[in-house]
Amino acid sequence: MTNALFTLPGFAEGRLVGLLLLILIFVLAINFMGQAKLPYIRRVPALDAIEDAVGRSTEMGKPVVCSYGCGGFDYWTVAGLSILGYVAKVCAETDTRLIVPTGGSSDSYIVREAAVDLVRNAYTAAGRPEAFNEDDMPFLSGEQYAYTPGYVGILVRERPGTMVMTGSHWSEAMNIAEMANAVGSITITAGCYTSNMAALACASDYIMLGEEQPAAGAYLSRDPAQMASIRVQDIYKFIAIGTILVGLIAVNFGSDIINRLLAT
Amino acid sequence: MSSFFKSRSAQITVLIVSFLLVFVPYFIPWGPLDWLSGKLMTIAAVTNAFTIVIAVYSQFRRSGRFINERRKGWVYHIYLLALLAIMTLSGFIFGQHAGAYEWLLLAVVTPLSSVIYGILAFYMSSAGARAFRARSPQSALLLIAGFVVLMYQAPLTGAFFPGIEGAATYLTDTFGMSVSRMFSISVSIGAIVLGVRMLTGKEVAFLGFGESDE
Amino acid sequence: MNRMSDEGGIYKKMATYDKRWVYLALFVIVLYSLIRPIGMPIGISAQTKAYKAELDTLQEGDLVFSTWNMEFSGYMELKPGVLATHKIFIEKGVKLCIAFGHFEGVALPPEIFKQLKKWTDDYDYTEGEDYIIIGYVFPNEAAVAALAQDFHANVRVDWKGQSIEGTFLDEIQNAGDFDMISDYTTGLATTHLINHVVLQYGVPMAVNSIGVSVPGHLANLDAGLITALLASTRGGAELEYLINSPGPGLKSMDAFTFGHYSLIIFIIIGNIGHYGWTRRSGARERTGIR
Repeated sequence: MTNALFTLPGFAEGRLVGLLLLILIFVLAINFMGQAKLPYIRRVPALDAIEDAVGRSTEMGKPVVCSYGCGGFDYWTVAGLSILGYVAKVCAETDTRLIVPTGGSSDSYIVREAAVDLVRNAYTAAGRPEAFNEDDMPFLSGEQYAYTPGYVGILVRERPGTMVMTGSHWSEAMNIAEMANAVGSITITAGCYTSNMAALACASDYIMLGEEQPAAGAYLSRDPAQMASIRVQDIYKFIAIGTILVGLIAVNFGSDIINRLLAT
Repeated sequence: MSSFFKSRSAQITVLIVSFLLVFVPYFIPWGPLDWLSGKLMTIAAVTNAFTIVIAVYSQFRRSGRFINERRKGWVYHIYLLALLAIMTLSGFIFGQHAGAYEWLLLAVVTPLSSVIYGILAFYMSSAGARAFRARSPQSALLLIAGFVVLMYQAPLTGAFFPGIEGAATYLTDTFGMSVSRMFSISVSIGAIVLGVRMLTGKEVAFLGFGESDE
Repeated sequence: MNRMSDEGGIYKKMATYDKRWVYLALFVIVLYSLIRPIGMPIGISAQTKAYKAELDTLQEGDLVFSTWNMEFSGYMELKPGVLATHKIFIEKGVKLCIAFGHFEGVALPPEIFKQLKKWTDDYDYTEGEDYIIIGYVFPNEAAVAALAQDFHANVRVDWKGQSIEGTFLDEIQNAGDFDMISDYTTGLATTHLINHVVLQYGVPMAVNSIGVSVPGHLANLDAGLITALLASTRGGAELEYLINSPGPGLKSMDAFTFGHYSLIIFIIIGNIGHYGWTRRSGARERTGIR
């Protein structure tokens, strides 16, 4: 194991640099969240696809199916909820039926309530509170492999014009995306881990890769906290790229300074 | 009193204290703090288990409402509640290692979940067969890389062409791994920043508060 | 027959075949290969050899935390690796503490130890003396962290309710007292184990993972967070070959091979059809199977 570069008495060895990086995240995030001017985030191309796809569903008289994930309140689910709010708004404005399958894990019980409020508020804001139907947000199951056939069943029976699958989906994502394709829906998905991205890229018409999903969620919600998060992540990506490059050069010159700097 | 515990500020205070109790001992090892941190994690694990009780109660209430109001699919809710009751009662009566509970688990639950998992193989194959088309030079390059990795994954190929292991592992260890690493970095930072938002009270949906709630 | 006058002809059919032909072909090929295996040779990857070398570092009496972070469906894919690894453990005489990461795990021990009966009988490997099953103890990250920090505060009884006091688990104060973690995972609590056990206590961790999660675990392997990785059914089959104990993995390798080759053939057919059709029709249409 590499020896850490900095140590402090009484402090866990090798964790000082990690603590400093964490403190920097806190400072940057709080700073950006407090700023009056929102950070710039480019519009993710998949958002245009969502609008076009919902329009297509409206013309065909078919419903839209949109899910926000199976997980609890994690990084992906928050993004998925923002996108769900947007899709609900568009559906409310265009008088298109929106179906939101919920469930998939034991943590999904908590998120469902937030999702129901979100969709109800979207319909109310569009001036169509009577169009909101909680029965169109069925709780399928708290188990992943019971949720999956329920979701697939909805797709087969309702034959939606568009399926938007965002948030935290795991192995069931492939099942759902492929079935959506089979029933002729425009399939817009977001991959939340490496293996999923590869499979969904094959099965979907449009895919949001990795961080495009939280970026899309932040762009749509215009929430200063979410947008600040994206900005902080971007800064840290540059820090990571810089560290990698410096480390690459250092290692090639026989120095392990970066290894020791990051060692725990 | 209950309004105090329901308030946003009280809940966020609990969140911050819990966070500090786990965060600080990670950097400053000190016996009493480690002990307290361990106790808190044990309490969290036990409390989490009680959410199953709440979930079962919620499901009974929800299904009861569906059945009373004869909403769409109400018959399935009767079926659901019956199965829920059978599994729970058989587990308590016979234990989890014998009788009806074990039979239901081995004969019903596990084959059903295995089928859903097994279907993935067919869906991945059809998706791959559909998506791997050389429509452009870039997609042709991707197709070639995919071929190499697919050929390597077939065990027979490695027996006759040992050299393919080098090519396939080069592709997965460079391009594949760099994507995984990029992902890990991004997700980790995103999760930390989400934590900052929760601690500063900017993200309160997980506490059950809506945008207009206090 | 004037093919040049066809709209798409055979090329169009090749480019837009019904996906149900793929399903049927896969089903028939895989089923036939499973019923009548030929016994084709397989290559052994460096990764599997490294996994076996890692297990070979264990000595008799070492304490291994065997974490079954898989549903029963995942076990179907990981079965060869699980059985082969546990055969190694039994032959070496290591002590196992078995924990589940999913409630379906309770169905696994009877299934697994039924398959290992010959080994457990030959080596007199008994529950309570050589291995203890503590049950479903990893419902979430907090549980993993709590158990890692203070084992006996969180686990007092085994999965059948019998006290673990007076057993070999008395030596375990925290997760750092284990000599190795042997993880079989569909992605449940593995990251939590890395965070709270490997990073905190430096316990070596060997992972047997489903195929789709292998790219993610390769990064962990390269970073030294896990010390060995066995990839899916194929890795299990290779391990069975290395320990000279053929089992369900090697039996399914023919099906594995033919399944992959048939997929490659379908991709080639689709591409030939796409190329021929678009050239013939002169249009760059998007083709795909129905």
